[in-house]
Amino acid sequence: MASTTDASNQFADLISRREVVVCVGSGGVGKTTTSAVIALHAALEGRKALVLTIDPAKRLANSLGVDALDNEPTRIPIDRFEEVGLHPKGELWAMMLDMKKSFDHLVDRHAPDEKSRQAILNNKLYQYFSTSLAGTQEYAAAERLYEIYTGGEYDLIVLDTPPTSHALDFLEAPNRLVDAINSRAMQFLYRPTSGLLSVGTNYVIKTLSRFTGGEMLSELGTFLKAFSTLFAGFQERAGKVRELMTSDVTTFTVITAPTAGNIDEAIYFHKKLGADHARVGGFVTNRVHPAWVPRAELSRPSGQLSRELSGLSEAYDALERDAQKEFARKIRGNATDFQVLADLDEEAIMHLRDTIPRSIPIMRVPYFAHDIHSLAGLDHVRRSLFVA
Amino acid sequence: MTSLYDRRMVLFSGKGGVGKTTLASAFALSCARKGQRTLLIELNVKDRLNAIFGSVEVGPEIVEIEQNLFAVNISPSVAMEEYGLMKLRVKVVYKAVFENRVVQSFLRVVPGLNDLLMLGKSHFHAMEVDSAGKFLWDKIVIDAPATGHGIFFLKIPSVITSILESGPMFSDAKKIEEFLRDPKMTAINLVTLPEEMPVNETLELRQTLVEELEMPIGMIVANSVYEPVFDEQESKWVLDADADQFEDTQTQGFVDAAKFRAQRVEMQAEYLERLENTLSETLVRVPYYFTERFDFQTIAKIADEIDEQLGEESGSQRSAG
Repeated sequence: MASTTDASNQFADLISRREVVVCVGSGGVGKTTTSAVIALHAALEGRKALVLTIDPAKRLANSLGVDALDNEPTRIPIDRFEEVGLHPKGELWAMMLDMKKSFDHLVDRHAPDEKSRQAILNNKLYQYFSTSLAGTQEYAAAERLYEIYTGGEYDLIVLDTPPTSHALDFLEAPNRLVDAINSRAMQFLYRPTSGLLSVGTNYVIKTLSRFTGGEMLSELGTFLKAFSTLFAGFQERAGKVRELMTSDVTTFTVITAPTAGNIDEAIYFHKKLGADHARVGGFVTNRVHPAWVPRAELSRPSGQLSRELSGLSEAYDALERDAQKEFARKIRGNATDFQVLADLDEEAIMHLRDTIPRSIPIMRVPYFAHDIHSLAGLDHVRRSLFVA
Repeated sequence: MTSLYDRRMVLFSGKGGVGKTTLASAFALSCARKGQRTLLIELNVKDRLNAIFGSVEVGPEIVEIEQNLFAVNISPSVAMEEYGLMKLRVKVVYKAVFENRVVQSFLRVVPGLNDLLMLGKSHFHAMEVDSAGKFLWDKIVIDAPATGHGIFFLKIPSVITSILESGPMFSDAKKIEEFLRDPKMTAINLVTLPEEMPVNETLELRQTLVEELEMPIGMIVANSVYEPVFDEQESKWVLDADADQFEDTQTQGFVDAAKFRAQRVEMQAEYLERLENTLSETLVRVPYYFTERFDFQTIAKIADEIDEQLGEESGSQRSAG
């Protein structure tokens, strides 16, 4: 199909002119795999590419054939490529963002002094909250991306974002954190003697402590007080991260699967990204059922089909006519099952095509018979994504 | 072991996109059909139950979507209001405190608060009694968040109990934590696909739940299992066929489609075997349905499927014991 090739070429061209690719999408649509494939493509084209995942499951390491990835970039050894007949002109690097370490890293960098640093790292709430506070994961990811980008070591960085219903959480999270910390209630909690509070607010805090217990409020206060020392740094960085995300060097790619629900979410991501002035450079639709047999051919009589199948194997050719027909009916039934899925996928993709601007390419990656969990598998996907 | 149908609260988690909502819906339907008054809970997500059950959109108010089957989409802010009113008893006081701008901005950033509120409300319903002291619900079924967030969600009560030593928040969290760890009360079902990544993730999730959170696992559901169309010999024919064996491209297409099916069946069989060999829990296999959407009919079929397979299991356990 000419249009498929055009879309692939347009996408490949775009990637070659960008330094940051951010992959967004809902869970289970192949985001991690697609991120790795984009980085692999760039490495084969001669660039030094890094794929950065924040997926806690060790999926990316599995796919790349290395034992484990950690918080520092690891180069995929050249042997791994040669084993599957690939000869990259560039380099492929990968890392898995460890939330705890990344946040500790943030604390290390932004804490004004050793005492504040220790106060935060030793806080009981810190360990849980640093990895699960709404938006902290996303923030740490964006921050790390920014750090690596400004380090200037890579030609291309591909970020695999966490599956979230809010595509831009990692852009909005820093602002949310900053707003919250600046709020008056927070100031009360970590500066209770400042005397800024009205009698009304005091009453409010007292009532609140009936729910949480005073201990909880004071723990929170200690935590936030320590944490607030970081925020001057956060605020400034957040602005810079956002600038990078919405600049010309960055493109967003929406990863999706061709079910009606996933396509609706992809459309929603596109809308949200647009509202945040982020640019979507392409949609990748994974797991598209191929149209093996056109609908019109599915009514082929079993007698005819059974004759056409002759030569399938010696054992088949040796069957009685009736047994051959019976087998042909199974073959036809199976093709009919899959045609239903191919039609539904097509319909969903057409809906996406009609909804988003014509200028944005939609790539289709077929549903493969095997799982993609090896470098050879990633290369297989690469061929259909970029060489269509 | 307490049968899955006898637990008060049954949660469904697993990797994103494996069919948690579908399975939670089917299990809830199965419970309702057994005459259990069942509440199916979504946690602050875009409602998908209305599409499955052909019901009204499910929001923060409990609605009946089938006979014996009710649904609610818990909103943290509504849960907070209900909780606040329950404790404060006076709406004016609630409004003065909780709708105070300063408090609102504070509550917005209390880490884990939304998860705690949603879990708290689910637990509240699990223990809710009528004036005669009889449980209002026989079963609470929760469509829980996917793996990563799912762990944070289930962990929040134990985080609180490890930080605090007393107080109202401590005792509430303690109650929920004990309830979640009680194998007579709770079961966490893990939904997966018989494929490499989902299986790996399921095994890791199970380990975390059992070893770190000490929570009881119910069944493992392998979803979207292709039924084999071809017997062993026929599979071999299509698997051995070359990509250009037939001159006629349509005939080749028929064979390619058959080959895809046979390859998928073969691959899935390996992962199903791996699940069987690694896990001690009941493994329920739900077939792949070649249909448009997960409509009510499909859910009903899956409900029967679960019921049958769980029945077999308890039957075989009885005969063994």
